[in-house]
Amino acid sequence: MTFNLTISVADLLLLLPEIFLTCWLCVVLIVDFSCPRLPHTRLAFLSVIGLAATLACLVWFDAAHVSGSLFGNMFVLDRMAIFFKMFVVGSTALVILASMQYVDRFTLFRGEYYFLVVMSALGMMFMASANDMLSLFVSIEFSTLGFYILVGYLREDLTSNEAGLKFFVLGVFAAGLLAYGISLVYGETGKLVFSEMTPTHTTGTMIGFLLIFAALGFKIGAVPFHSWIPDTYHGAPTPVTAFLSIAPKGAAFAILIRLFFVALASFKPIWVLLLVAVSILSMTYGNIVAIAQRNIKRLLAYSGIAQIGNVLIGLAAGTKMGSDAILFYLLTYLFANIGAFAVVIAVAQAIGSEEIDDYSGLNRRSPFLAFAMLLFLLSLAGVPPLAGFIGKLYIFIAAVKEGLYTLITVGLINIVISMYYYLVVVKKMYINEPTDPSPVSISGPMKAVVYIGLAGTLVIGIYPQPVIEWVVDATLMFSNMVGPSAVISPSLPPFGG
Amino acid sequence: MVEYILLYILFAPFAGALALIFVSNRQPMLVRGIAVASTFVCLVAAVYLFYAYDPVKGGFQFVQKFQWSKELGISLHLGVDGIGTPLVLASAVLLFTGVFVSWHITDRTKEFYIWLLILAAATIGVFMSLDLFFLYFFYEMSVIPMYLLLGMWGSHTKKYLEMTDPEGVKLRDSVGFIFNFGANSKEYAAMKLVLFLSAFAVMALMGILLIYKYSGLNTFDILVLREQANLMNIPALGTTLDKIIWILVFFGFASIAPIWPLHSWSPVGHAAAPAATSMLHAGVLMKLGHFSIIRVAFEILPDTTRELMPIAAVLCVFSIVYGGLVAFYAKDTKYVIGYSSSSHMGYVFLGMAALNYISLSGAVIYMFAHAMATGMLFAMAGWVYDQTHTRDLPSLGGLSNKMPFIAGCFVVGCMASIGMPGTVNFIAEVMIIVGSWNKYPLQVIVAVLGIVLTMAYLFNMMRAVFYGPMSQKYSHTRDAVATVDRLPLLVMIAVSVGFGIFPMQLYDVVRSGVDPLVAKITYVTPVARTDDETGGIGRDPDLGADRPSRLAIHPRSLASYASREHE
Repeated sequence: MTFNLTISVADLLLLLPEIFLTCWLCVVLIVDFSCPRLPHTRLAFLSVIGLAATLACLVWFDAAHVSGSLFGNMFVLDRMAIFFKMFVVGSTALVILASMQYVDRFTLFRGEYYFLVVMSALGMMFMASANDMLSLFVSIEFSTLGFYILVGYLREDLTSNEAGLKFFVLGVFAAGLLAYGISLVYGETGKLVFSEMTPTHTTGTMIGFLLIFAALGFKIGAVPFHSWIPDTYHGAPTPVTAFLSIAPKGAAFAILIRLFFVALASFKPIWVLLLVAVSILSMTYGNIVAIAQRNIKRLLAYSGIAQIGNVLIGLAAGTKMGSDAILFYLLTYLFANIGAFAVVIAVAQAIGSEEIDDYSGLNRRSPFLAFAMLLFLLSLAGVPPLAGFIGKLYIFIAAVKEGLYTLITVGLINIVISMYYYLVVVKKMYINEPTDPSPVSISGPMKAVVYIGLAGTLVIGIYPQPVIEWVVDATLMFSNMVGPSAVISPSLPPFGG
Repeated sequence: MVEYILLYILFAPFAGALALIFVSNRQPMLVRGIAVASTFVCLVAAVYLFYAYDPVKGGFQFVQKFQWSKELGISLHLGVDGIGTPLVLASAVLLFTGVFVSWHITDRTKEFYIWLLILAAATIGVFMSLDLFFLYFFYEMSVIPMYLLLGMWGSHTKKYLEMTDPEGVKLRDSVGFIFNFGANSKEYAAMKLVLFLSAFAVMALMGILLIYKYSGLNTFDILVLREQANLMNIPALGTTLDKIIWILVFFGFASIAPIWPLHSWSPVGHAAAPAATSMLHAGVLMKLGHFSIIRVAFEILPDTTRELMPIAAVLCVFSIVYGGLVAFYAKDTKYVIGYSSSSHMGYVFLGMAALNYISLSGAVIYMFAHAMATGMLFAMAGWVYDQTHTRDLPSLGGLSNKMPFIAGCFVVGCMASIGMPGTVNFIAEVMIIVGSWNKYPLQVIVAVLGIVLTMAYLFNMMRAVFYGPMSQKYSHTRDAVATVDRLPLLVMIAVSVGFGIFPMQLYDVVRSGVDPLVAKITYVTPVARTDDETGGIGRDPDLGADRPSRLAIHPRSLASYASREHE
């Protein structure tokens, strides 16, 4: 096969956000090297400014309906790609704001921290646009590379080192699976671009796709590929945990949606079963194990596994509405999770603990933080009028239209299970009395992150229509996806009478 | 301006809660002032709504519809009929009085009122929702504030496990402890309540999602669904789909009502809750169950309701007898009132099960009446607890010396709860009993015996708390003398007695809501009948023949219903 690599200036425009961020990345690095005395918070603001400019550019792209593809369809820019790029860039900016205080803990390489975070974000922006197997592999590895270093950034902390090593070993293993899967699929179909593939039901393709799914399952942390999640989330620096729990999930779902809806559209009856099984396992395992957690980061790690199970319901629906619901759900998850982690960082900064028992009486020590945490946890649990409820309902509506009743039943039961452990944290914060009643203070940038999280959680929960319209438009290219129920659903009786 | 009245009622408490966020806890009077102001607006609007509702016109009035999400088929569709109107009024009255009942809360006053206002606003939201999504939205929204209200301001029953009655038998061995063996802390009660209600709420949500799917209309609007989605004879799981949906919706919502055997969260929750929360909980939160069943199951699945409502007729007997017996043996003031509430909710189910104009109207009026009666009792139990710091009946006694006003009101509250003539409860009880007699004579006999039982345990409690010798340790207790303390009780007594003596407006309003519903459920249209017979799902062919005589359709109402439909 040949690649046509002649690029015009107009083509480069499609890459503008990535090119801009790459240049900005160099600027950040150069500033860091040339001014060693510069406080690292300046670098943080510099990175945030760059990300904000990228976000503005993406908003402009979205408003102007810029779209196109490059390098023989390896790189596509459609509205879904723009959505996920905005998701990644936005969450990265919030993570940097939330980590400004935390970075003081690093003894060395404070400036490089921001460089690595933004570099990973750059990789994930390419993931959002990846439309063939090669760009999929390269962009995934590119983004994960930064994470390998970030997870082990607390050099003196053994748990952080352990987390880094665990993440690295399993990550490389997943990369191996991915490469092997891609080679098998390429050998069978002779194509790399998703939209050009016409896979047949041969053993090679099946195994290849299973391996690719396993590697992506590792990225999103779905059961049974979740084993790295709890330890890595626990040991990693908390802002990195927040980053890891949000941005890569979004980017990986961009790839999963393209892979399943475009490349594997003809395999739908098979992958629906696969996704149903993985989704049920993720939700149930994540929620049940979360009950036993005593550390808030581990609790959020397991709850994250369960949330991913919920998102997979939308994928299993396999319709345009399912993909809308995934986008919507991920956005609600972004606000609730970044907010919850911001509160965890703020509390850990003040009281030096991430144990749930130490959240006792947080309501008396900092009513604002406790209230924010309450809303974030309830949004994750799916309680109206918060964004998480609409997200869950959107997913369920998409699934019920396809007749996935088992999946919905399990999902609904899991809402109740999850409510228990979220409410245990709420109980500690609100009902228990504090052992140390000194007030908990919170820094400015952290407050900004919490406010953004609260605003997102409440506004989307109370008036989601603009966001719904946005995600519906963003996935218009899947409007020809039909569900399995279109064939097997019982015919409706005539109305009236 | 008047057409937005429902928005005022719904959003006044929300606005109050929002305003309270910006007030400091160091200004408790300002906090209370905002709470009173917002609930007063809510109350005045609700009273206006009640009298402005036109029972001759009937149907849904003051309807507001705002498109909320076109893709999901959701709109904020608000409107009240004759069933919702009195319940909105009851909620507003109990919210307003509840603010005064909790006047003396000093710990985190602001947060308390915020959650109380959100709780009440959410329940009011259910009573005026004409959209299944928002009905569930507000329903589930009312659960979480309960958790915090119980957990943060509730009271423990720590010693309860060790308490013995005069014969020396441990209370944990008494009837009431079958399901409540862990009921020794407010945290337990709060968690149990939330998990129980959420578990059954998602069951109802499953039913709602199935309605959404199989109606094929891509809408959650109840008014659209009830016109078009009434035939769901799709075979599923060995029966028809409509039956499965009905069961999901009925038991999902009946858990909050609470029907036996899904009641065990309720008395524990009542006991742990602070007074105002108990009032709202027993007064209006439990009615969410009946109301949602009427709104969803009765409106959208009338044929299935006719077939399956006997389930409620069976279970209500257990509710009445079991709740009454436990209340009789309980030794805790709030447990007595809590179990009496779950017993009295059985009457509502009986009225609903009989499915005729009189009994269903009686059931709706009973919901309203019970809200006032039980609100009074919980307010006074809360006052007694605040003064004596105990809810243990054997250790109380003779308090009428110290608190004559409370004792006097308590007598009125008991009378109302029993259903003395002169209170609105009497009218409701008589209507339920008379209305259900033709169809369920056995249940009616049990219900009448239940009234006797109610008398027994309420008088027993009255004697144990207010009469007899008084322990010296209660010599410091005081009566409700301040206006803020007396006002809530007087308001509730006034409403209860006022509607007991002049029930016509209430009756007309309720009838205007009940008539079209009963006509729709019991009046079998020819088309549907042939469908049923040709469908042949093992139905008794004689049932259709003798149905009119057994259900005693009111000819006038039917005629008016028919003419109304043609308009």
